[in-house]
Amino acid sequence: MEAVIADRIQFAFTVMFHYIFPIGTMGMAPFVAWFTVKAARTGDERYARAARFWGKIFTINFAAGVVTGIPMEFQFGTNWAPFSARTGAVIGQPLAMEGVYAFFLESVFLGVFLYGRRYVSPGLHAASAVLVWLGSWLSGFFIVVTDAWMQHPVGYAIGADGRIELTSLTAVLFSPFAVWQYAHVMTGALVAGSFLMAGVGAYYLLSRRHEDEGRIFLRAGVIAGFIFSAMTIFPTGDRNGAEVTRFQPVKLAAMEGLFTSEIGAPLAIIGMPDTQRQRLIDPIVVPDALSFLAYGTFKANVHGLTAYRRELWPPVELTYYAYHVMVGLGTIFVVLMALGALLLWRGVLLRSRWLLWLLMLTMPFPYVANEAGWMVSEIGRQPWIVYGLVKTAAAASVNVAAGETIFTTIGFAGMYFALGVLFLNLVLREIALGPEAA
Amino acid sequence: MMGTLSFLLLGLMLSVYVLLDGYDLGVGAVSLIVARGDRERQAVQSSIGPFWNGNEVWLIAAGGVLFALFPQAYASAFSGFYLPFMVVLWALMFRGISFELRNHFESDLWRGFWDVAFSLSSIALALLFGVAFGNLLRGFPLDAQGYFQGTFALLLNPYAVLVGVLAVAALAQHGALYVAMRLSGPPADRAAALQGRLWWLVLVVYAAVTAATFAVRPAAEFGALPLLFVLPLAALAGLILTRVCTRRGSPGRAFAASSVFVAGTLASGAATIYPYLLPGYPAGGGGLSIFDSVPSPAAVGTALGVAVVGLIAVALYTTYVARKLAHPIVVGEEPAARPEGA
Repeated sequence: MEAVIADRIQFAFTVMFHYIFPIGTMGMAPFVAWFTVKAARTGDERYARAARFWGKIFTINFAAGVVTGIPMEFQFGTNWAPFSARTGAVIGQPLAMEGVYAFFLESVFLGVFLYGRRYVSPGLHAASAVLVWLGSWLSGFFIVVTDAWMQHPVGYAIGADGRIELTSLTAVLFSPFAVWQYAHVMTGALVAGSFLMAGVGAYYLLSRRHEDEGRIFLRAGVIAGFIFSAMTIFPTGDRNGAEVTRFQPVKLAAMEGLFTSEIGAPLAIIGMPDTQRQRLIDPIVVPDALSFLAYGTFKANVHGLTAYRRELWPPVELTYYAYHVMVGLGTIFVVLMALGALLLWRGVLLRSRWLLWLLMLTMPFPYVANEAGWMVSEIGRQPWIVYGLVKTAAAASVNVAAGETIFTTIGFAGMYFALGVLFLNLVLREIALGPEAA
Repeated sequence: MMGTLSFLLLGLMLSVYVLLDGYDLGVGAVSLIVARGDRERQAVQSSIGPFWNGNEVWLIAAGGVLFALFPQAYASAFSGFYLPFMVVLWALMFRGISFELRNHFESDLWRGFWDVAFSLSSIALALLFGVAFGNLLRGFPLDAQGYFQGTFALLLNPYAVLVGVLAVAALAQHGALYVAMRLSGPPADRAAALQGRLWWLVLVVYAAVTAATFAVRPAAEFGALPLLFVLPLAALAGLILTRVCTRRGSPGRAFAASSVFVAGTLASGAATIYPYLLPGYPAGGGGLSIFDSVPSPAAVGTALGVAVVGLIAVALYTTYVARKLAHPIVVGEEPAARPEGA
């Protein structure tokens, strides 16, 4: 096996497993902070229990996120040494800032939140929950900035020896590509957090246990879920898509399964891409809709994959399916949460057991949508590691053999399996024990 | 100039890491000896519970800062020492898991397993960091880009292993002093007694390492740079003061003196390898220095400025929080190391 394939498999596997936990922490952190602040201000014991309950689940997520996050920082150096050496002057900056500005904040104040309740003032305790939220979101920001630079490099110059030099840190940090990608990623995490709230709340109401807290969870989850699931589509998804259309048209073509350029390009709702014959099998399409979504007019010309050299295509099937899974699920989330919000407003949500069932069963799917979104972003970026600048094939360490990476990948697989089982076990146990035990 | 400042910042961050995570690694290393039974172990672990994760961030953040300031050194070291880095990574992961999982079930078997896992992984990390430090002093066979040309076995040379033993002993002493400082009752007494014995071990191994260092580094270097005498002497003074303070029964001051010893030893090492990040072997044989393939001075200046401003804020709020949570711990009164959980 080529070393670069082993490196990609390991990175893809470890980062996708890792990302399960930041989805949880970034999605839950604002809820934990909200419950903690509300409890501190009103003295309402139900909110204090809610804060402790979700604080525990947050902490299990956080610990798993830390443990699986360290290998990511290592892999840049171990398996992608030429990439790190060549682009480190740029991407080292946000990664260093993540450590200095986000990880410390998150870790230090999580310590206060977990251990300080008896020793610090309620105000500082509530503030620590807010700072943990800020830390987790800053961490997400610096990671998305790093990725967005790999998607659309800005603020750099190429030095004499081929190294990429930083010319403007602010251009890197606040590039429109990064800002919209960040907004999309965070609303995605918030949707996951909202479905966790609503789903656990629905579970308690359906099983007639912890109903006081269940109502709080359900209400918070449905209101936030309606707002943020709508926001994943508009404006964040729409704007993110516009950046992709502008800077990564090949990725757009792969996402949509569009092989031939068309004036008035159709939007494929379903269909299976056939890269051999360069067509979609059994498609259901909306005529002209892709032209409209991409360029705002129904008769715009959208470039298909065949307009580009084959070696510049990303893996079409994975990009296409990941994108359709994300968009399909995202649409279902909006419908479910809109129904939930409507019934909540009409005051009949608690009696609508069918919707409570649906909300409970949908809980895992925002995770799938978030992961699928990253797959679109990263698989769709291929064959580039830095879009238009550095090919992935030229970025892997030459002094680490495929055999070494396969060896450690097997180890990661074993460890992550055990960790995954323990994680699920602990979280489900907390949910079974309920907020009264907290 | 930029290179030297970068070297200093990284040295400082790694030293703070060893001082802070050093005490919680040390607590892990001695925890099976100083704490017997679930309540004592819980009390000992809760003394580091709010802090250990933040302490570990100094290492992670130093990795990020190394990436930004010296991308080539980051790339060369991480890929060149692939397997050793993976071993460190696994020990870090295993330690984190053991600490976090321990209190989730009320079962002697469950907790006993994670207590042993936590202690062993703490010892392993101290040993690995010591071996790495020893190898840095000794130098590595490197190619022109600073990529390591040797084997894993080569890294386990007698000198490096000796430094590894020093690291385990010194951090165990550091951790024992921390337990004596924060706790009261039997664990604190046992920690104080253990530290009394460890002190002699540290002294002997420190002397041996110092003598061996003259053998692996050319003596000429020491004449050229007076700092190379001042820093080890400061370390030695710290070690002697540690003894003086424990004799007078003030573990807090002894902990501070032990910090001087640890920091002095690290600073001696950093001064020895300067200006190299990855010194070649045999010593004097070049290596990857702070002048080799670094980013533009403007980029380095930006990275340094951003990091220093952030770290000042970190130092301030970390100190504030540490003071707020530095209450004395009494065995049995302290709730679970996860007071909100478990």
